[in-house]
Amino acid sequence: MPEKPKQLPVVLFARSHAGEATCWRPSVDIYRTRTGWLLKFDLAGVRLEDVDVEIEGCRVTVRGLRRDWLLEEGYSHYSMEIAYNRFERTIELPCKLAHPRLHLDYEHGILMIRLDTEEEHR
Amino acid sequence: MKETESVSVLPVLPLKNSVLFPHLLMPLAVGRPTSVAAVEAALATEGKEIVIVAQREASTDVPGLDDLYGVGTRAVIKKMARPNESQMELIVLGVERVVLLKLEQAQPYIRVRVRAWPLPDEQSTEVEALHRAVVEMAGKALTLAQPQAPPELGQFLAASDDPLRLVYLLAGMLSLELAKEQSLLEAQSRSEALRLMHTYLTHEVQVLELRTKIASETQSEISRQQREYVLRQQMRAIQQELGEKDPNQAEVDLLRERLAKLELPEEVRKEAERELGRLERLPPGAPDHQVIRTYLDYVVELPWNVHTEDQLEIGRARQILDEDHFDLKDVKERILEHLGVLKLNPGAKAPILCFFGPPGVGKTSLGQSIARALGRKFERQSLGGLHDEAELRGHRRTYIGAMPGRIVQAIRRAGSNNPLIMLDEVDKLGRDYRGDPAAALLEILDPEQNRNFRDNYLDLPFDLSKVFFITTANALDTVPRPLLDRMEMLRLPGYSEEEKIEIARRYLVPRQLQQAGLTAEQCAFPDEAIKAIISGYTREAGLRQLERGIGRVARKIALRHAEGDTTALTIRPEDLLELLGPPAPSPEELRKELPPGVATGLAWTETGGEVLYVEATLLPGGHDLIITGQVGEVMQESAKAARSYVWSHAQQLGIDPAVFKDSGIHVHVPAGAIPKDGPSAGVTMAAALASLLTRVPARRDTAMTGEVTLTGLVLPVGGIKEKMLAARRAGVRRVVLPRGNEKDLWGLPDKVRTEMEFVFVERIEEALAATLPVGGGDEKPSAG
Repeated sequence: MPEKPKQLPVVLFARSHAGEATCWRPSVDIYRTRTGWLLKFDLAGVRLEDVDVEIEGCRVTVRGLRRDWLLEEGYSHYSMEIAYNRFERTIELPCKLAHPRLHLDYEHGILMIRLDTEEEHR
Repeated sequence: MKETESVSVLPVLPLKNSVLFPHLLMPLAVGRPTSVAAVEAALATEGKEIVIVAQREASTDVPGLDDLYGVGTRAVIKKMARPNESQMELIVLGVERVVLLKLEQAQPYIRVRVRAWPLPDEQSTEVEALHRAVVEMAGKALTLAQPQAPPELGQFLAASDDPLRLVYLLAGMLSLELAKEQSLLEAQSRSEALRLMHTYLTHEVQVLELRTKIASETQSEISRQQREYVLRQQMRAIQQELGEKDPNQAEVDLLRERLAKLELPEEVRKEAERELGRLERLPPGAPDHQVIRTYLDYVVELPWNVHTEDQLEIGRARQILDEDHFDLKDVKERILEHLGVLKLNPGAKAPILCFFGPPGVGKTSLGQSIARALGRKFERQSLGGLHDEAELRGHRRTYIGAMPGRIVQAIRRAGSNNPLIMLDEVDKLGRDYRGDPAAALLEILDPEQNRNFRDNYLDLPFDLSKVFFITTANALDTVPRPLLDRMEMLRLPGYSEEEKIEIARRYLVPRQLQQAGLTAEQCAFPDEAIKAIISGYTREAGLRQLERGIGRVARKIALRHAEGDTTALTIRPEDLLELLGPPAPSPEELRKELPPGVATGLAWTETGGEVLYVEATLLPGGHDLIITGQVGEVMQESAKAARSYVWSHAQQLGIDPAVFKDSGIHVHVPAGAIPKDGPSAGVTMAAALASLLTRVPARRDTAMTGEVTLTGLVLPVGGIKEKMLAARRAGVRRVVLPRGNEKDLWGLPDKVRTEMEFVFVERIEEALAATLPVGGGDEKPSAG
């Protein structure tokens, strides 16, 4: 049998959730604030309307699509490192989020998700 | 993902030898122009999506849609780099499997319409059970394949909750064949995918187990050999320490000692030393060891320089020869001549003789007797039916079970390099595709060549020129001419009745009496009894039937003695009827009178001479000449010549030529079952025809032989001595024979010569005159 490329096992994506295996995962910074949480996603070049945020219990899932918008006639890739197409990232926070107030902000290619919990207001 | 529109149009990247599974990353090298174009097209889209499909044959360089499988994987290109202008390196991530629906574009790259084909979600106990079985089997395969693999990998496999992902993951890790990978990708359901994977894993585990087993067996075999080698080395060291020799070395030393004692020719010594050196270096277990040992044993045992001293005292030799054999003057003279030569010239070459004659005349025993007279060792080899040249010359040592040829074996058995070797039945050599033994004999029997006879096994020259070769044969026509040419022919023609009686009295009777346990006093064989046995119970040139007859009588007498009747007995001819049964009637006795048209001829056969009759009869109204009785071509022709002669000389013979026009002639030569050939019956046929046509019966006491030509000449023929003896045996006392054969009568016993009347003729007219009493001439009519 001739030499064949070996597939890289998805061990790279260990402990990921079911959907994530076929997408790319944006990097995320997580802050604790006085009023709750701030999640800072590295989502450069993603249009806000292509992003979907879902909160369920203590889980925050961000999924969406990065489209390559630089599609000029006569341009062709010489190399490519940026991940396109679907992305998905689920963050599990160490507490239950009851009735969070969600505030999205997109600036300089960074998606900021503020989660203010009622807990803090009590 | 749920909202993925299930149909899309995407560029296709054909893959050789491999399948990309969903959820897996795969690095790819892309070089084919169509593939590069497809990747570039994919990269020029927002989503960087491409369909990756395996091609059916890796050898297809520019595949069309037909060369691809119908199911592939939609993938996203994660990374791309170009190591050089024409090459691309990609990392692709499988997303989901798709069915190829329709070709949208073929150039410059393939674009197809595809539809996602997700596997139905399935939750059943069967899937659960299969899932567990696969996890278990995968763990087994993993430990077998990589005993040092991190345990996390196994745990990770076990923890995987999606069975389909597990299958894809394992498929990526195992190196499965393309068809198997594709069948996994095309599985209709999760349970099918799991079942397939379980089968593949089981196979993989079996292969791995076998491999481990083989590896460990090889390991143990090697270590066993190493241990043995080390132990042997130690044993050798201990033996040296103790001053003992190892058995192998002792054997080599013994052989060397024996070699040194022998006076070998230089070439032989060199070769033997060389082989001895090889033997010394070989371990005793080596397959060649035994071969070389046997070879050296053989070389050492051969009588390179051992010879027996010839007994050159001629008086003694003559005495021995006369003791053993009656008569045979020619042969005895020849042997004594050789002794005389040896006495004057000790370096004389031994003669190569060929004894030929009918069976039972003592050819083989004469050989033994010569060996005794000369004081040489006697070895006998029968060549009858031998058809393999290697039997004489041996097989080369490279063959398993190779042996020297019969000649070298005989010399080793004899233990001297100048034995008398008797090669019996040289006329009965066979030949086939393995070679012609007669051709090998040419070298062996040529005194100019056999000084350096090389046996294939020995591969050393052995001097056969001192060997006294005697061959024997019954007939010479099957012996190749070049072989005959090398030998000195000595004929042993058979015995007359007187000779037989003499031989029986001297040798056969005492031998048979002794074998039966009788003494000469208990049972006497007078000459009349022997004569009665010869005439009534034997028809042969030799003595075997006679000896058997005497043996039978002796055994019958021995039985009487054993039963208590111990009276001494003298065998009388009348007793033979009781002892041997009624005598066999001879065909000659049936012909008390010869009617016109029958003549007595003489024939030579391998077993001696025979009397034969030629019968001729008229066929009124016929035309042809019919010849029957298993008559060969030459004999048929001589019958035609005889008829033509009689026809053309009809007037002279007093025959009405009209008879040839009005009737055919039938010539028959009994016995019809025995094939006959040769020209020597020509005179007989002419006589039979003349007798038939003149109505004059031929003389019954006259036999004839000779070849007839159309002009009436009678030419000499062979086998005269045997024929004369046969005629006498049959009671014929008068023989008509060609003038040219007069000299052949020299070899006949005096008794035969004086008792018989010979009529020598040059022309057929003389022969007819001597045979047909009234046919003309001055012969007296006789009733025969």
